[in-house]
Amino acid sequence: MKTRFALTFALLLPALPALADDQANAAQTALLAASCANCHGTDGKLAGVIPAIANRPATALENQLMEFKHSDSTRATVMPRIAKGYSDDELKALAQYFSRIGSAQQR
Amino acid sequence: MTKSNIKNQGLNSSRRDLLKLMGAASALPLLGACSSLGGPASKDLSARVVVVGGGFGGATAAKYLKRNAPDLDVTLIEPNKVFYTCPFSNLVLAGMRTMDSISHNYNELRELGVRVVHTTAQDVDPVSRTVSLGDGSNIRYEKLLLSPGIDIRWNAIEGYDQAAAEQAPHAWKAGDQTRLLRRQIEAMDDGGVFVLTAPANPFRCPPGPYERASLVAHYLSQHKPRSKVLILDAKDNFSKQGLFMQGWKDVHGDRIEWVGLSGDGKVVRVDAGKREVETEFGTIHKASVLNVVPPQKAGFIADRAGVTNESGWVPVDPVTFESTQVKDIYVVGDATIAAPMPKSGFAANAQGKVAAAAIIAALEGQRPLEPSWANTCYSLINPEYGISVAAVYRIQEGLIHESSGGVSPSDANATFRKLEVDYASGWYSAITQDTWGTRR
Repeated sequence: MKTRFALTFALLLPALPALADDQANAAQTALLAASCANCHGTDGKLAGVIPAIANRPATALENQLMEFKHSDSTRATVMPRIAKGYSDDELKALAQYFSRIGSAQQR
Repeated sequence: MTKSNIKNQGLNSSRRDLLKLMGAASALPLLGACSSLGGPASKDLSARVVVVGGGFGGATAAKYLKRNAPDLDVTLIEPNKVFYTCPFSNLVLAGMRTMDSISHNYNELRELGVRVVHTTAQDVDPVSRTVSLGDGSNIRYEKLLLSPGIDIRWNAIEGYDQAAAEQAPHAWKAGDQTRLLRRQIEAMDDGGVFVLTAPANPFRCPPGPYERASLVAHYLSQHKPRSKVLILDAKDNFSKQGLFMQGWKDVHGDRIEWVGLSGDGKVVRVDAGKREVETEFGTIHKASVLNVVPPQKAGFIADRAGVTNESGWVPVDPVTFESTQVKDIYVVGDATIAAPMPKSGFAANAQGKVAAAAIIAALEGQRPLEPSWANTCYSLINPEYGISVAAVYRIQEGLIHESSGGVSPSDANATFRKLEVDYASGWYSAITQDTWGTRR
């Protein structure tokens, strides 16, 4: 809940002097995550032939993203091309972000 | 003012609590604009943020403005009560989908608290910060976001004017033009030629004409098997060209012929009544169905607002998508000069989110965040064979750069090609949910 408030706070970008750096980072991650919705639905919640990513364990998401980026597995179609566009740290941050969003909604 | 019902519980109600806590110290003043809601406006309105255009760019921007700043007063101007997407309209042309399946309404945006006004935007006065609307009223803005899409450059090809488009449709804006072209295709005689003319860059949806040719060929193979498709192209290279040409060989045989610029493919004159075109070196082609995809420019409201340059498109600050020519006007989508990002619905949606974040930052006196965008364009060669181009874009040295990307492998197997068709469908459901909040 505290993390959620922090994320909410960061997303609103209030002009309070005590704003910590990691809240700015949270806002930055949210913006980085925005394009993911185009295939995974708003907040990554849409489940279908393209899987939902919301509320999955952070380590699972991180491992999957690293595999997309670094391995030559041909099982995936688009994600290897997408994952290579972000740094490893950004992918880890994205995994954390989506793991905290809440339960996925089914079709 | 009617209290808006925000659909998402959880996160948004936390945001609301937070706003109450922030109270007087808030840097985001909770001004409610005096506004009359519901029905056509009969008196002037105002909003902190006015969005013109309810397509992939504008609807997304309006939604994300409200999601991230629920008490922000956002008004969306869009003439259509139902929006038909160009993406997947090629499937309608081939009889694979219905018009209804590519339609999206604005109910969920309204539930989110966006005021949606169904009229046109006719003019913009950046000095008085006023948009003049087609219903005779005006709306004042603090920030304006334009996502007007494209307009056709009438008469850029001799003979191709608005009247000509009723006989030789472009169907490059979905809706009635899609229906018209579909009826013509259905009524074609077997053994006829579907002629598609493709323009030089830049234009909306670079792979679009080639997907259209592919799917029309698929329809013809099933219903009018002696018929052919001829593409007359004003350029020598096109998006995913290698994959399209391989795919055409694989599944369409010799049904599709492509003639590029160097092969006398550039169309210089159209006679819509006769369904004839003349190319650069004087060749006349007669079509059973003539689909002209003509030269384009930014939607006209961009001209009126003063944000277009001599190219007819809109230069923007790559970090915020604010116009480089007029302050406090942001522009997203096909109308913009945002290369190397293509003019696609996916890119427009991504740009809408970046602009929404930048607008909120500006309203709060904050620096904008570092943006990024992705784009994935799926094209169907037939119902079992799909290809894609995907990329991520970042800012490098103040300009938009492709940081990763590529096309589907040329040696992919049938399972891979079918998987991309399925993912295309999944993408469509996701992006339309993300943009208008509706499921298809």
